Amino acid sequence: MTQLRDDTARDSLRAGLVRREMHSSRAPASLILAFLLAALCLYVLLEVLLEAIGQPPWLLDPRGFAAWLNQLPDNASPLVLGASGTLILLAGLVFFLQGVLPGRLHRHLLPSRRGIVVVDDEVIAAALARRARLAANVTREQVLVTVTRSTVEVQLRPTSGRPVSEVAIQAAVEDELARTGIEPVPLVTVRVSASGVVGQ
Amino acid sequence: MNQTPRALNRVVLAVCGLALMAAGALVVALAVFEPVARWWRSATAEAGNRLDQLLADTTLPGQPGSWVWLAAAGGLVVVLLLLLGWTVQQGSGRLGTVVVDYDGDGAPGIVSLGSEVAEQALKAALHERPNILHASVAAYEYRRVPGLRLRVLPRPGVAPQAVAADIMELVEALDQVVGFDPPVVLSIGAGARSRLVRADHRVH
Repeated sequence: MTQLRDDTARDSLRAGLVRREMHSSRAPASLILAFLLAALCLYVLLEVLLEAIGQPPWLLDPRGFAAWLNQLPDNASPLVLGASGTLILLAGLVFFLQGVLPGRLHRHLLPSRRGIVVVDDEVIAAALARRARLAANVTREQVLVTVTRSTVEVQLRPTSGRPVSEVAIQAAVEDELARTGIEPVPLVTVRVSASGVVGQ
Repeated sequence: MNQTPRALNRVVLAVCGLALMAAGALVVALAVFEPVARWWRSATAEAGNRLDQLLADTTLPGQPGSWVWLAAAGGLVVVLLLLLGWTVQQGSGRLGTVVVDYDGDGAPGIVSLGSEVAEQALKAALHERPNILHASVAAYEYRRVPGLRLRVLPRPGVAPQAVAADIMELVEALDQVVGFDPPVVLSIGAGARSRLVRADHRVH
């Protein structure tokens, strides 16, 4: 029984760790928001304290500011008001989306006997590009590999006068991809451009 | 693999984002729609009257101002402290000690292993590999379980599964030496350093 509980605890710990590795923590956006809020709070605190001890205000008189807010549409040009409102709206939208969107990182999970292994898509792309380059016998500038969550796109410009077999490259890339053991296997598309490169 | 409060981050970001969006929409509506401006006038005038009433009611006899200002200052200090607490939690959870053995099979004394044991051993082993440009190892705590997090930047073009298998062999050797198997997260990435070596790929 304790064994079973240990196993489920271990699995849930593992699932949590995988989730954390595959998704953004939103720490940068949180730090920016915390800094902005803290700056605002500090300023308001200063003015409130000045008011509390009966000193003249530093930048804005609370009563004057309240009166200005009350008169709002008339004491500012509609253009300035509309523009600043749009900016505030957009800033709010950015923070809101940061909070709501899944924030999936460009990474893949590799199977492993021990521990959790995550690989940046860039690393996978580099490995696949190397394999495609060797299969096509071209230089590395002639291969471009793009890896997303469910697709792998290989773009290859052959050397002029040396035909390249699209099928062979497809097979090589798919073999390399199968070796990584990524699940589900992304769909591989190979595009060999019609125009070749001279003197590579 | 640390104690960044992710759920809290998202909730605060979403709530503050919504509040900002509402404020921005209100400002735009004020600039564009006349009825909204009329409503805003009467609503803020009413709120201002109430506020004046409150300030007058809370001014103690013999005092120059209302104590509401002091209460507001106290509230702001509390908010500032909460913000500070939220900030320092980001990326926290780094551990100094990975394992403590109070029992020691009946022997007197306590055995405690610092995280440097694992960090130094793995780092030293990883720096010898030619296909690994950079490796960093740190011990973190997640859900009160101590674990190791490895970040490795391999040379571009190296097969990631080969790197992973290599490193996990090292980790298993460490398990044997230390005598316990903590959760391990290995993150294989491409940093600025590996991009400088050579570039033959792009990722969207």
